[in-house]
Amino acid sequence: MKLILFYLRKLFAVLKNEVLVLPSRVAVIIFFLFILLLPLFTDDLYVLRVFTLASIFAIFAASWDLLSGFTGQLNFGHALFFGVGAYSAALINLHWQLAPWLSIPLGALIGVAAGLIVGIPALRLKGTYLALTTLAFPIIVTGLVFTFPDFTGGELGISGIQKLAPTRIHEYYIISILMLGLCTIMWKITDSNTGIIFHAIREDEIAVRASGVNTTRYKLLAFCLSGFFAGIAGGLYAHFMRIAGPSVLEISLSFMVVIWAMFGGAATIYGPIGAVFFLYPLVEFMHVIQDYRTLMFAFVVLLVLLFMPDGLFRWLREKIETECPRCKVRNIATRDTCRICTAPLN
Amino acid sequence: MSIKNREVIIMSIILDIIVMGLIKGSIYALLAISFSLIFGVARIVNIAHTAFYMVAAYCIYTVTNYMGWSAVPAMFVAVILSVILGMVIYKVFLNPIREHEGAVLIATMAIAMVFQEVMTLFFSGSFLSVPNLIDGYFIIFGVKVFYQQLLTLCAAALVMVILMIFLFKTKLGLALRSTAQDREVANLMGINESKVAMITMGIAIGLAGFAGAIVVPLEILEPHMWATPLVMMMAVVVLGGLGSLKGSFVGAYIMGFTEAMVVFLSPQGAFLKISVALLIMIIVLLIRPEGLFGVYFEEER
Amino acid sequence: MKWLKSNVFVPVLAFVFVMFFWATAFAASDEIRIGVIGPMKFIQGKSQWNGAVMAAEEINAKGGVKVGSKMMKIKLIQADSNEFLSITDATNAMERLITRDKVHFVVGGFRTEAVFAMQDIACQNKVIFIGCGAASDELCNRVAKYYDQYKYFFRGTPFNSTALVKAAFSHVGSTAEVLRNELGITGPIKVAFVAEKAQWADAMVPAVQATLPKMGMELVGVWRPSPVATDVSAELSAIQRSGAQIIFTFFSSSVGIPFARQANELKIPAMQVGINVEAQKAEFWQATRGQGNYVITSSTYARNVECNELTKPFVEAYIKRFGEVPTYTTGTYESIKMSLVDTIEMIGTLDPDKIVATLENRVYKTPPSTIMYVKDNLGRHTHDLKFGPGYATGIASQWQDGEFVGVWPNKWKPAPGVEVTFKGVKPIKIPPWMIKAYKK
Repeated sequence: MKLILFYLRKLFAVLKNEVLVLPSRVAVIIFFLFILLLPLFTDDLYVLRVFTLASIFAIFAASWDLLSGFTGQLNFGHALFFGVGAYSAALINLHWQLAPWLSIPLGALIGVAAGLIVGIPALRLKGTYLALTTLAFPIIVTGLVFTFPDFTGGELGISGIQKLAPTRIHEYYIISILMLGLCTIMWKITDSNTGIIFHAIREDEIAVRASGVNTTRYKLLAFCLSGFFAGIAGGLYAHFMRIAGPSVLEISLSFMVVIWAMFGGAATIYGPIGAVFFLYPLVEFMHVIQDYRTLMFAFVVLLVLLFMPDGLFRWLREKIETECPRCKVRNIATRDTCRICTAPLN
Repeated sequence: MSIKNREVIIMSIILDIIVMGLIKGSIYALLAISFSLIFGVARIVNIAHTAFYMVAAYCIYTVTNYMGWSAVPAMFVAVILSVILGMVIYKVFLNPIREHEGAVLIATMAIAMVFQEVMTLFFSGSFLSVPNLIDGYFIIFGVKVFYQQLLTLCAAALVMVILMIFLFKTKLGLALRSTAQDREVANLMGINESKVAMITMGIAIGLAGFAGAIVVPLEILEPHMWATPLVMMMAVVVLGGLGSLKGSFVGAYIMGFTEAMVVFLSPQGAFLKISVALLIMIIVLLIRPEGLFGVYFEEER
Repeated sequence: MKWLKSNVFVPVLAFVFVMFFWATAFAASDEIRIGVIGPMKFIQGKSQWNGAVMAAEEINAKGGVKVGSKMMKIKLIQADSNEFLSITDATNAMERLITRDKVHFVVGGFRTEAVFAMQDIACQNKVIFIGCGAASDELCNRVAKYYDQYKYFFRGTPFNSTALVKAAFSHVGSTAEVLRNELGITGPIKVAFVAEKAQWADAMVPAVQATLPKMGMELVGVWRPSPVATDVSAELSAIQRSGAQIIFTFFSSSVGIPFARQANELKIPAMQVGINVEAQKAEFWQATRGQGNYVITSSTYARNVECNELTKPFVEAYIKRFGEVPTYTTGTYESIKMSLVDTIEMIGTLDPDKIVATLENRVYKTPPSTIMYVKDNLGRHTHDLKFGPGYATGIASQWQDGEFVGVWPNKWKPAPGVEVTFKGVKPIKIPPWMIKAYKK
């Protein structure tokens, strides 16, 4: 009994001193609560569908950020991992009758393999060359899809995939909680030593190599991790939509994820997630002005880029928090002195 | 008799490949060279490049259909319009954020999307086409070649020659080339780097618009027609080497002939022409990561 | 605090909240809500909407639908599926129709990949969905295999891919006969098969290879251009070299336009027959710059042809209202008027299960055909359309100098002792350059 009270008190202490102190952390908590409690406010299937899809795309966008935002290997063909994950999960489910909770991770593993296939040639390429080359991969795979239509269903895709869960609410929770979990894992990766190395590779690969780190291994690791998470997103998509067709490999999907991630702020993980949850429902709910939807979306992107070229959420974070010059701890911007070392914040 | 027949068939296949390869190659060359120019001088990866090509094509359609003008003045209007549009967009949306390369990239993506949506709004998703400049065809070695195809080829060749003269024989061309080679030093040498960037943007968009204008009688107009040429153009630029004009030129014809060969030699696999071309690009890059003629620059800070 | 002022997030978030707590506006309970879903920015979706509008107006003008003792008016709700560009948009739109707009029935759908997903959503919610655009056999195979789940789906138009192909073969046969009679060709007619590289056409290659010889024709080559190819002069040169007299086309995408245009510009001495979906559209003539002449394609309507007594009134009314000949996606008209409303009035209720039970056994006339729903060879309902003389056959039309003229069925002999000719068909015209090439 006392143990429980102890942990509760500890929780409150942590909340008060670590979480509630910073608006960005509060925002994250609010976001978590919003996702988890949404079904309580609405049982409208349509709204749940929109947010479920947003969660899937959030995993997808975060996985792009992990690869391209952090290691700087710009990937313009990220739909490859998504599509491979989707098709693999669909085929495994259809032919081997494996349940979704098996077919999706297996599909994701095939996504990892795809990651290696892209990552190895990518090692020799830099910058724009890499970006434009990665664009080619989903197109080649689409060609393969059409070359073996008996296996892949050609332009009709693979249909009759098993449902993820019996009801929409179940699906929503499975996917949302998975999203929260996976994105937290991705966040933790970027916060770890591996993440620091990723970031360093982007900034100056030669220096990292000079420090004795095997950058090849890390670059490939980034591709594999990114492929894995994107593959999971693809598998979830296939089971949710119950169809996997060539639309999962489209160029527009690759471009969208780049737009989302850069819009929200590259190399942050929370940036792409926020961008997806901001833009995707927005565009969807704009169905009342169906004809102008995408135009409006493009303009929003252009305008935000003009004023916040580093990404919306990065900019927001800069506005509401400042870093203490002495102890490098983040503080809420309204403070005059740092909360830890009491140095003045100008 | 059957040997002669086979000879004729082989001759006509070869000729078909040559004609198609030359045309595709020339269009890709125009697009790739202009894209390379923008990248080399202004360091912008212009995803909207082929979208300008599409705008010019729609412009021709509008002018010939609704205003009843003939094709040549329509071409002028289209090119001028796309140049103006390009410069304005550059000034308003791209120049302010030029330092943030990532932001510029998706800004150009968004611009391409805007063009696509606007075209859909005005013209709906239907497939449209544009009249030929010259109708009819002639026969050579048993192969029927359209006059329009020949015209497109000649126009493209002419423009490329003019471009080469401009770049290598005029002072402005020299300024362009030196800015592409090293931005800072060009600045030190007294070249107004941002003005040069703007002019380059104008010329490059003009080239893209011109490519759209001359190829449009051979193509189908629809709001997504910019996507496939974009992929091929970028493949050409990468294959030839970023920033290298010679590379873009050579790469364009390699890609063009690859496409033609796939279409003619394996009719059942004609849909794979893009995949094959891209595969070749990847293979070349594996051997030579900076492209055929690219120079391996140090990453600029 | 300065961060609040420049914070764009909160107002937008508030806006988003307002948007989705926004009323599921009280749907009036004495109207029948029918959702029309399709790619509304494109002609296919526009036709679906137009057909539905005509049906709804005609019915409401008569006072509405008699449901038991009540008269209920029809309210149409349009949903743009955007299915050509985004499957997720299509599913979202479908879900919206059902959960927010609370429609009783849905008609429409076009792109097969999207229709599969839309079918799932409709059937999950036990809403009757009549497909008016997708031809994939699998859509109806599912109904047979998982009847309790998918029984709410019916095919409205077109008939399924297998039947489409049978019809196309018949068109080729008729064209071959005309060539034989007019040009005096002896020996087997040479046919070049050109099908866009797409799954639905893949199964056709072996079928064509097997069937054409039985029809007394010779297959001289198979070409598979990309569905979105814009330059097919390569294929055309090769086709000309092969000496083909008929080009059997299987196009559903944009390649149909450049193919027709270039074939005519190059004056290839062959007749184009088969399926060319682009050629069914009114703008085909402009899109090929007038070079689409003599192209024959399967179609559903032509101004001069009557399938039954309902055809002409519908076609004329549609032309009067919308200025163009209807295409097959106007199947929403008969889906609403004949399939749904007539059944509702027959049994006096909106209950989906009862409607399904009645509808699947009905045989009734519609402007383009007579509808009967087939069972598969295990006796299970497929809710697919029966193809054959007296039921759904479609027609074939040829572009003749800017007019889309119905040319088939014209003395069509589907079985010994059976001959079918629709009222008003005109004879097939052969391109003059082909006549010249063969008469010399």
